[in-house]
Order: sequence, then structure tokens, then C-alpha cells
Amino acid sequence: MAKPMELLQGTLDMLILKATSLGPLHGYGILLRIGQISKERLEIQQGSLYPALYRLEHQGWITSEWGESENKRKAKYYRLTAAGKRRLQSETEKWNRMAELIAGILHTKPEEV
Amino acid sequence: MRLTDWMGSWLRGIFQRSRVQSEMETELEFHVETRAEELMRDGVPRAEALRRARLEFGGMEGTKEECLEARGASVVDNFVQDLRYGVRTMRRAPGFTAMAVLALALGIGANTAIFSVVNAVLLRPLPYDQPDRLVQLWHVPPQTNFPGMTEFPVSPANFLDWRSQAKSFEGMAAYGRGGYTLTGNGNPETIRMIAVTNGMFSILHARPLLGRTFVSGEDEPGREHEVVLSYAVWRSRFGSNSEIVGKNITLNGQAFTVVGVMGRDFDFPISTDPSLQAQMWKPLAWTDQERAVRDNHNYAAIARLKPGVSVKQAQSEMDAISNRLAQAYPADDKGWGATAVPLRDDLVGDVRPALLILLGAVVLVLLIACANVANLVLVKALTRRKEQAVRIALGATRRRLLQQALSETLLLACAGGLLGLVFAHYGVILIVKFLAQRLPRSGEIGLDGWVLAFTAVISLAAGFGAGLLPAFRAAKADVNEALKQGLGRATSDAGGSRTRDLLVVSEVALSLMLLIGAGLLIRSLWMLHQVNPGFEAAHLVTMGISVPSTKFSEPGQQIGYFERVLERVRSLPGVQAAGLIDSLPLTDSGSIQPIAVEGRPAVPMVDMPEVDVRMISPGYLSAMHVPLLEGRDIEDSDVAGRPGAVLISAAMAKLFWPGEDAIGKQLTLYFFPDQPRVVVGVVGDVKLFAVNETQPKATLYFPLRQFTIPRGESFHSFGMNLAVRTHLPPASMAATAGLAIHEVDPEIPVQNVRTMDDMIAQSLSPERFTMLLLGAFAGLALLLAVVGIYSVTSYSVSRRTNEMGIRVALGASRMDVLMLVVRHGMLLALIGSAIGIAGALLLSRVMRSQLFGVQPTDPATFVAGACGLIVVVLTACYIPARRAMRVDPVVALRYE
Repeated sequence: MAKPMELLQGTLDMLILKATSLGPLHGYGILLRIGQISKERLEIQQGSLYPALYRLEHQGWITSEWGESENKRKAKYYRLTAAGKRRLQSETEKWNRMAELIAGILHTKPEEV
Repeated sequence: MRLTDWMGSWLRGIFQRSRVQSEMETELEFHVETRAEELMRDGVPRAEALRRARLEFGGMEGTKEECLEARGASVVDNFVQDLRYGVRTMRRAPGFTAMAVLALALGIGANTAIFSVVNAVLLRPLPYDQPDRLVQLWHVPPQTNFPGMTEFPVSPANFLDWRSQAKSFEGMAAYGRGGYTLTGNGNPETIRMIAVTNGMFSILHARPLLGRTFVSGEDEPGREHEVVLSYAVWRSRFGSNSEIVGKNITLNGQAFTVVGVMGRDFDFPISTDPSLQAQMWKPLAWTDQERAVRDNHNYAAIARLKPGVSVKQAQSEMDAISNRLAQAYPADDKGWGATAVPLRDDLVGDVRPALLILLGAVVLVLLIACANVANLVLVKALTRRKEQAVRIALGATRRRLLQQALSETLLLACAGGLLGLVFAHYGVILIVKFLAQRLPRSGEIGLDGWVLAFTAVISLAAGFGAGLLPAFRAAKADVNEALKQGLGRATSDAGGSRTRDLLVVSEVALSLMLLIGAGLLIRSLWMLHQVNPGFEAAHLVTMGISVPSTKFSEPGQQIGYFERVLERVRSLPGVQAAGLIDSLPLTDSGSIQPIAVEGRPAVPMVDMPEVDVRMISPGYLSAMHVPLLEGRDIEDSDVAGRPGAVLISAAMAKLFWPGEDAIGKQLTLYFFPDQPRVVVGVVGDVKLFAVNETQPKATLYFPLRQFTIPRGESFHSFGMNLAVRTHLPPASMAATAGLAIHEVDPEIPVQNVRTMDDMIAQSLSPERFTMLLLGAFAGLALLLAVVGIYSVTSYSVSRRTNEMGIRVALGASRMDVLMLVVRHGMLLALIGSAIGIAGALLLSRVMRSQLFGVQPTDPATFVAGACGLIVVVLTACYIPARRAMRVDPVVALRYE
């Protein structure tokens, strides 16, 4: 297994939206979900997750409610809102365009310039 | 996010910070525990697993802080912080705080007081169900005979035609006033009775508290001996007896059955004076003969619009009906239109302009107060420039500084608003007291929820208004400039002084506008007092003798009674002269009748000229000191059977017989066709209805002894007013005269005992009220402006102490220094006055309807106002300027 990569600045929000788009999750669950999807190739500072969650909730993209976890504890579950869904979609498109653009630039060979 | 969610999150932010925090801790704890459990599943011992989980998580406290900030709680925290900061700075500068709060409190208090009047009189719905659907219906009389008169009562036949033909209304009803005397249990009492046609109560959607209102058929003659009591009379006269319904009471000596009692809030027609509210209602039962009367207009009418019908539609229908009636009955109705006026407009139309002017005035006062506070805050902010610059340098955002500056003035405005409410409370008490009885619904004036909401809104607006300018200046502060300057005071502050100058100029301009407005009203009231009413008011006592309509059965008895009264009164010590008249001058009542002049072509009634007609006794002219210009006064010998003798006013003589001798001319009153009359004398013009009448009214006086029953009517006895000229104190004269009348017949009550001076004062009370208030506001504005100008000038003088010192050291004379300061102040005052005069020209145009005998552009008032203001500003500059003049150059140079 390759050494996990550090998260690019500003991409955590997008990942959280993606993770919650697959169903309601608590904070730890979101970490696990991102790890699982990324096949453990991404490293997320656990402490930085929560401020991001609170910010997204304040912006109205996710919403939270208290529930019971698999280990029978009280846990706060986050769910994607309709506004969050739209946000995820637009962010994804933006990211794809940006990635394509950057990749294109980086792949440019000297003779093409 | 929905608004409710957002509000919820925000409120949790304020009130449940601890809960939010504990929830957050639970959440983070859950994270660590779950991670630890996972590690334990791999065989790590619990303590070690927890330690590793925490390490992986990172800085727990930092995360918590970030979370709190992320959820927006910081906005609330900042606000609370700003408030604390504001309270601290206010405490540190008590003088500044007191000044600012007082200025705002005066402005807000004046606004609140006037708004509570506007709210009760103009805004609050009338006390009926769906009051905006109610309209008052009036005749519009032909303008050739009734110039300027647009609302005239209706005759029974025309009303009945309106009611049967109009389709715009759910219902229409007519009513008339009458005085009835209540006897039995206690003193005889005059009852203010309203006779209403069928359906009046249902048009108003009014339900009784007890019993019922009138039902169909009770407006037929013979069945009308029923009354509905007002709540007030039920309480005062019948001790709130709930068994009263079904009982008989005695009115004018006849038995009436009480069928119902109205609730406390019911009042119809709405009276301007709570002490003149209607006390009972009875059915208005016209006989067949009366129903046919088309030419005698004595009734008011109201109607309720059908749903979906507009006033305009109703008006055009009334126009069409009037046209039809004019064609069908040209002799009576030609030229008579009809108008439908929303009930509220009918009630408050007269006072609306005055109230709106006052509301405008208090807004100006508040603006001045805001400018004042802005000035104070600006001056204070200058001493904090350095502190602000340091804070910007340390990373405070400009937005944050703006917020902070604003929260300070908002806090001041809230304190000002609270104090203003106290001022307003007393202001309202004063206003209601001074209002005399001239404002409709004045009983309802008070501080209610709407007024409180208004106060809250204008307090916030004043806080923003006063804070915005200083706040932007604070946020715009040039950090480098401020930090470069030493710890001492700032030496250059061009932008700041420009802002202050602007505020001074606007204060001068606004207060000049108010001064001129008040000046115009004072001039116009003075002109009103100079008006000669046509009689001599001093030493005159008047009273009403209200004879019940069934007291006497024929005119001879009636005339005999009044002669006994006159004889009795004239024999009293101290009476110089006494006389009777049916309607006193300067009251609302009085009859207008068509006349036919002998020797002129006969015309139908509608084309006959109309004159004001008064019935008097001999002695009336000498009691009132109405001058006899030509011919003779009426005499005791002018009795029934002798040729009818009439006196006419100078205006009538000029109108009917210009350049001719009116004496000896013959005429007949339309309603008394069988009685030819001869003009025996011409008397001076008298103001009949109001002091501010500009055109003297053509008036005809005929003797009481020649009273006959009007054509087509049956005899009802009637009341008269007594005027007594005396050199005794009016109060004691009134008492003895009242007693004497009582002795002649104890069953006939005396009412409205007043001196003529009081009547004149009362007829001018609306004008005086507006003038007093506007004058008070102008004074307030002037005071605020002077304080503002004084504080700005003394501030700038103290800042320029150094400069003054240098000037003096370099050889400037003390006078030069004085002039330097005064000249600047004068310049501001002159610019402000110029703007103020322009503003006053606009304002006074709106005031035209309130003025009497004064042009809205009256140069004297404008010049006096401007000069007065400039002198006051000069004084406000002179005092600090003298301080500057005395500056010791040595001290001043060391000042830095």
C-alpha cells in the first residue's frame, strides 16, 4: 500500500458532501467512508473534520440529528440537504474542469508550446 | 436553510451556548471512543487505545473553538462584546452620554407623542366592524347660493329616494340630533338623543350589550316611544341596572320603553368631545307629511358599501340619482348634488393637515437630534483615532470597527428611546389636556402597542442615523497617518472638520425651517385675535335654555315663558343688558333659509338666494354690543299681528340692495310664506360660525315675538340661548342667572354656561394647539442646534489653541483671533440659513390651509426667523471664541 497522500487544500468539504450523499453518517463514519472510498490513500486530520462539518451545517448543505450508533452510543448523524446536493454537483463539475485543465497543462510537451 | 432553522441556530447561539458546547463535547467524545474501540478490537488495551485515539485526533480545544466559530456563534459574541464595550465607554464619559441620550430622548419623545395622536386619530380603525366600508352621505348644495359649502344635510324625501334607488349600499340610514329632558329619579337632565331611521344599528354591525336595538316598523309614527341607552348613561343614571330593559323612563314628559343598552365602546355618531357623546338613541319616525318634505334639509345620513363596491362607484351612482331627482323635482332639487365621503375622512379631514405638519416637525427635530449626536460621537471618535488605528493594525477588520461604532450609537438611541417614552407619556397627557375638545377620538390617545413599536423603530433609525457617519469615518481611518502622529492630539483633521461643518449647516437649516413655520402660525393666531367678531366679547355670559320639544303646545306659551325669563334676568343686580337668540355666534348651529325679495321676479325655491336666519329678542343687540348701523332695533311692539320686522346685516344690505337704502324693503322667508316682513334696521356683520370666516355672511334677524310655525310643520317647543352683559364676575353672574331661570320653571334645564371670551378661545383652540406645539418643537430644535453648534465650536477652538497661540505670538490682535472663530461660525450660519429659507418656502406652502391673514411667504417672519437664528448662532460661537481670544501664547505653544 502506497503512503497516504495529504489532502489538497479546500477539498475536504467536497469529500464530506460526497460521503454524506451516500446516506446519513456520523463524524467518525464520514472519516471511515472517505478512507474506504479512497482505499486508504488519503490522510485526513481528524481534528479538522469537525470544524468543516459545523461550517457546512451552518451553510445549510448538511443537516444533523442525534441517533444511536452501531456500538449503541448516542451519535450525531449528518445528512446531505437538497442545497448540499446541488452544491456537490456544481463542485464536482468545477473540480473536473479544473483537473482536466491542470492535467492538460502538465501533459504539454515542450514541442507543443 | 429555512428562516426558522436559521433563527433557531442563532438563538441557540445566544441562549444555549453551554448546551451547544456540551453537545459538541459529546460528539467529539463519541469520535474518540469509537476510534478507541476499533483499536481495542486489534488487541490494544483500553487506556492505551484511548491515548492513541486522542493523539490521532489532535488538539481537542482548538477544534472546539474552530467549530464554535464555524457555526456563526461569533457574530453574537461580537455583538455582546460591542455592547459591553459601549456601556463601558458610556460610563467613562457621563457628560457626553447624558447629552446624547437627552438629545435623542427629546427627539424620540416628541415623535412618540405626536405619533400617538396620529395613531389614535388618523390610523386606528373606527370602532365599528369593517369601518372602511362606511360612508357619510351629504348633499352638495348649489354653489351659487351656498358658496364654498360642500356638505349639507339631507331632506327626508330626498333621503328616502336615495335609499330606494341606490344599489351600491348594503344599507342606508338617516339620523338627527335632539335634546330631550329626562325626568324622574333625580334632577331633570338634558339627554343628547340621536333619532335614527331603521337599520342604523345593522349598518354599523353594532350589537347591544343588553336587550335589542330597533326592529322594523318602529320607525313608524306612534311606535317610536322606545330608546336604546348608551353604556355611560346606563351607568351614571340607571346604576348599571341589568333589569332596565323593558322598563319605562320619562323623556319630555312622555313614557319611553328601554329596549336595549349598548356596549362601552359604542359611540355614534363619533363625537370630537367625549363629554358630548350621544346618550340615547330613539327611532326616527317621520309622519307621512314629513316624509314628503323635500326642501328642508335637516338630517345626516350614513351607508355601508356593498362588498366590492368602491367609494368612487357609489359616488357616480349618487351623481346619477341626484340628476334624476333634479329632473323630477326641479323646484326643490335643481342644482343639488350628493357626495359619499368615507366615514373616517368625514371625521378627521379637518385635523389631518395640522397633524401631518406636526408629524413633519417632530421628524425635523429628531433629525437635528441625530445630527447633534453624530457630532458628539465624531468629536469623541477623534480622541480615539489612535486606538482605532492600532486595532486595524492588529488585524481588526473595518467591518468590525463599523459594527462597533454603530452599536455605540444604537445603545445611546435605546437609552434615548426609553427616556423618550417617559417624555412622551407626559407629553401625551399635556396634548390631550390642551386639545380642548377639538380633536376627534381624543379619548383614545395613549401609548399602545403600535406606539411602542413606532418608538422602537425610530429609536433604531435614530441610532443608525446618528452612527452611520461617525462609523464610516472610523472605518475609513488612515492607519499610517494616525500612527505617525505622536501620542498627542491630532493636528490635521480636514475631513473631520468638513463633516462637522456639514452637520452644523444642516442643524441651522432644519431649525430655521421649524422656526419660520412656528413664526407663521404665531402671526396667524395673532391675526385671528385681532379679528373683530362683530360683537364685544368681554363681560358677556351665555347659556342655553333647553326647552323640551313637548313642553309647550302653542307658540304663545313658549313666547310667554321666554318673556318671563328675560324679565326675571333683567331684574337681577349687575345685569346691564340681556337678550335671547336661537343660535349663538361662533357655534356650529344655525339655520340657512331661502328668501324672496318683494318686487323681484318670483323664482322656484332652488333659485332663491339663501341667507343665515336668526331669531332674537329685543335687547340681544345691546347685550352683545352688535352695532345698529341704520334704522331701529326690534322692539317689544313687534308682535304677531303687526307687520313683520327684520334686521339685516351690513353684508346682506350690500348684497341685496347695493347703493340703496335697505330700510323699508320687503321680503318673505320661504318657510314662512304668509308673513311678509319689512327691513327696519341694518346691523354690523357678526362672525357666525368661526373667527376665521373671511366673507361676512348675509344674515337676517327676526323677532321671537313674531315666531310662527314653519310651513308644513307642527309646533314643537324650542330652546333659546341667553346672552347677559354684566360688570359682575362672570361665574357669579352665571350662577344667579341660572337660578333665576330655574325659578321661572324648574323643569327646564340650563346648559353650556360660558363666557363669550371662553367661546372665542375655544373656537381658536385648534389653531392655538397647533401653534403651541409647533412653537415648542421649534424651541426644542433651536436648543438642540445651539448646543450642537456650541460644542463643535468649542471643540475646534480647543484643538486650535496651539495655532491661536502662534498667531498671537506672531502679532495677531485678540480681535483677529476672535473674528477668526466667529467668522467661520457665521459662514456656517449663513449657508444654513439660506438652505433653511429654501426649505421653509417648501414647508410653508403645505401650511397654507392652516394660515389666516398671513402669506406663506410672509417676509417679516422669514427675516425675523433668520436674524433670530443667526444671532443665537453668533452667541454660541462667541463664547468659545472669547476663550480663544484670551489664549496666552506661551501656554498655548507648550500645549502640545
